[in-house]
Amino acid sequence: MQQKTTQLSLKSYLDLNQLLTIYKGSHEENRLFSLSQKNRNSIVILLAWLEKNLYRVTSELESAKYLHYLTLFSSLFGFIALILGFSTGFALLSYSGSEPVNVIYLLLVMVGLPLLSMLLSLLSIIFGNRGANFFAHLSPLYYLERVVNFLPFAKKIEFSSLPFSATLSKWIFLQRVQIFSFLFSLGLFLALILMIISKDIAFGWSTTLQVDAKSFQTLLATLSLPWREFIPSAVPSLELVELSHYFRLGKHLDSNMIHNADKLGAWWKFLAMATLTYALGLRLIFWGVTSYLFKQQLKKEFLSLNGVSKLIKEFQTPFVSTQSHKDEKHLEIKENIVHKVEENVDEEYQAILGWNFSDEQLLLIEDSLSIKAKIKEPVGGKNSFLDDKNIIDKLKGDILIYVKAWEPPTMDFMDFLEDVLDNSSIKSVNIAPLGTAESQYKYTQEDMEIWLRKLESIDSDKLGVVNV
Amino acid sequence: MSSSYPKFAVVGHPNKGKSSIVASLALDDSIQIGNTPGTTQVKRAFPLKVDGKIVYELFDTPGFQRARRVYAWLEEHGDVPASKRVDVVKEFVHRHRDNERFRDEVELLEPIINGAGVIYVVDASKPYGAEYEIEMEILRWCGQPSMAILNLIGDDDYREEWSRALGQYFRLVRTYNPMTASYKEHIELLESMAQLNEDWTKPIKQAIDALNRHYELKIEQTISTISDYMIKVLSFVHKQKIRGEEATPTEKKRAKEAYKKKILSYEHKEQESVEKIWQHNGVEKSKEELNLERCGLFSEESASIFGLSQKELIITGASAGAITGGGLDLLVAGSSFFLGTLIGGVVGGVGAMYGFNNLYELRVLGQSIGKRELSVGPMQNLNFPYIVLGRALYHASLMAKRSHATRGVIELKNISFTEEIISSESRKILEKVHIKLRKGKEITKEEQEEYTSTLHKSFLELLKS
Repeated sequence: MQQKTTQLSLKSYLDLNQLLTIYKGSHEENRLFSLSQKNRNSIVILLAWLEKNLYRVTSELESAKYLHYLTLFSSLFGFIALILGFSTGFALLSYSGSEPVNVIYLLLVMVGLPLLSMLLSLLSIIFGNRGANFFAHLSPLYYLERVVNFLPFAKKIEFSSLPFSATLSKWIFLQRVQIFSFLFSLGLFLALILMIISKDIAFGWSTTLQVDAKSFQTLLATLSLPWREFIPSAVPSLELVELSHYFRLGKHLDSNMIHNADKLGAWWKFLAMATLTYALGLRLIFWGVTSYLFKQQLKKEFLSLNGVSKLIKEFQTPFVSTQSHKDEKHLEIKENIVHKVEENVDEEYQAILGWNFSDEQLLLIEDSLSIKAKIKEPVGGKNSFLDDKNIIDKLKGDILIYVKAWEPPTMDFMDFLEDVLDNSSIKSVNIAPLGTAESQYKYTQEDMEIWLRKLESIDSDKLGVVNV
Repeated sequence: MSSSYPKFAVVGHPNKGKSSIVASLALDDSIQIGNTPGTTQVKRAFPLKVDGKIVYELFDTPGFQRARRVYAWLEEHGDVPASKRVDVVKEFVHRHRDNERFRDEVELLEPIINGAGVIYVVDASKPYGAEYEIEMEILRWCGQPSMAILNLIGDDDYREEWSRALGQYFRLVRTYNPMTASYKEHIELLESMAQLNEDWTKPIKQAIDALNRHYELKIEQTISTISDYMIKVLSFVHKQKIRGEEATPTEKKRAKEAYKKKILSYEHKEQESVEKIWQHNGVEKSKEELNLERCGLFSEESASIFGLSQKELIITGASAGAITGGGLDLLVAGSSFFLGTLIGGVVGGVGAMYGFNNLYELRVLGQSIGKRELSVGPMQNLNFPYIVLGRALYHASLMAKRSHATRGVIELKNISFTEEIISSESRKILEKVHIKLRKGKEITKEEQEEYTSTLHKSFLELLKS
């Protein structure tokens, strides 16, 4: 069963990247999914979309393999850092009995070293992307990729398919560096506590530099500022600093030191607080900052994954559909036309009818085409059916009907034509499609074909089509 | 039966472009459009849904066939006040629902008596005829908000006389040619429809807003498709094993053919995706090539239309070379006295000249296990990206501008295309990416974004033209 992906994490980042290579959904699906979500935040919707569709990835998740190895190696490095810290602490606090443990030495390792590494982290944070490539090379992941190539499971992870940028690798590395450093300091701290409990350690301080006790105490008091108010006993006094000062010249310890040996042990509180504050506390803050910045970078890269901007746009853009749900009833168009257009036109007919033409238009046509008839009547148009019937009743012989070629024959005309053909006094009915007056009544072939196709439905020997 | 969203019935005489108007407004190229009267036999509803909710509905209807008979019936039964006339029309529809003679009239009147606004379509490229007045009278009896559309099917223009007549019957008269209408004109027509009834303004505005956002999304998706396609094509390398130490002419020919075939299949897929984005699913296979077949991707004609001229190539090559050289100058803080820019420019320019007729680069690669491979690509010809891009942008612009009422084959115009749409400034940005792809290098996300944004600008210009 797939693990739930409800928070932005490396896992969700890798899973989405893998899912988008095989499935992006349609605009309609994505928009409807987005509308079903209460939270309008794009990342939240993306994560929910990922959770809904992750089942589509049927192959093994890249994230599972990658995170498995990342966790494995991180745990290993973390454990090593803890052991290393503990061993270092143990070695530094091992008191031979002939010489006290040098506090300066301890401070450099327990506080100085962590502060130095924090400074490096800070620099890499400040330098941003410019240091990204450099840190990518420092990243264990970078070397992991190379090391893994030599291991039996080399082909299990396709590192080239992972979408990480150098910047994200930097943040993964920096975040882990804080954890490893924390564990190292924790090891040191545990070693200090263990040694304090189990051994009597005499602390002293010694340096080749010409530093007097007062200056040194001032430095230590400054370092102790964070806890001075609530644990004053953890701030080394001037008396303690003076007492602990020793030099390597001579075979034996200063008699004064031996005399006040019980007081020398008081240094441990300062060392413990310094470690807790600077190595552990400050490290936790750094871890928090790098984690936050890692999340920010992850968010940025999550949103710039290939296909994510399209998804978000589809989440936000209304889906418009205009399709009809009813299937179209297709008209079967008759391709073969049997009727032929008669080119020989008589000069005179018994009657000329103008379908949808006015009297004036009929006069103009007569004037232009010089075809005569005793009866010239406009039919159709605004005529009533009674008007048309009266005209049909008085018709006989050969009839010519002008029609507007550009106006396709309607059933109104077909009804009229049938009535005309039913008149037994009529010998022939000639349909003459005309073009517009501007085109000298010449029809287009396309218009003529429409008329011929329609007239195919009438089976009558009396009917003909003429070109006037 | 009334509903909360506006409805519009597109009605009129047969063959006046009703279905074309509906196809154009509904972005549906599957609607049968024919010049034979009666192509539309039953009414068909085209609901515009935004997120699954109907915002308005269009009805494609059959044309009037027996308008005089209908009007005669209405007059015979219509000795009523004007306010009751719609009831007479309802009565007509009710009584003749199963009458085959009035099937078309019943189909077209039904949505109107159920509350649909009337969009009356006429062909204004043909003269006005008084016989239309019967149809307009019938529609007036329905008492619904109405507008007329002057569709110019032919070349002549009788809009003035049509407007004079239609103005007496309809609240609004607008010109709209569904074959050539741009997206802007589509939206303007919707705005006119919104004016028909105060209650319809809000939903139509909502539809316009959704359509605008949908249109922008389609543009973005088109550009993203073209950008991905360009990267795939320009970085494509075909490899095949060869038997001997050197490739034989047959092996070379086969490799070239395989390379060409793959590039063409990429173009084919890209065009299919773009057609799908613009909802032109009905573009037939023969039309799919958009007559580009005779001007094939690898033809000289294509190069002359979509590619850059030799001069432009030299300038592009020089400026791209200068970019590389300029990098060197920056590295040495200008102490090279900008010699890098000069050398880069010269080398780039010469490379462009050399590359003009050099389509393929075939290389034989050695392998550790003794077998050898023949590799073709990435294409080294400097003009190739512009030919590929020009064709893709041109095809996309045709799809974006193509009306869903259009059924014809699109003719390719012999134009100096690339110079028209990709400015020299844009070419510099594009060429940076082309150089990297030619070298087989990967491009960064930032570079791809810049590339896409340049394409976006060019595409918008193309849509305006």
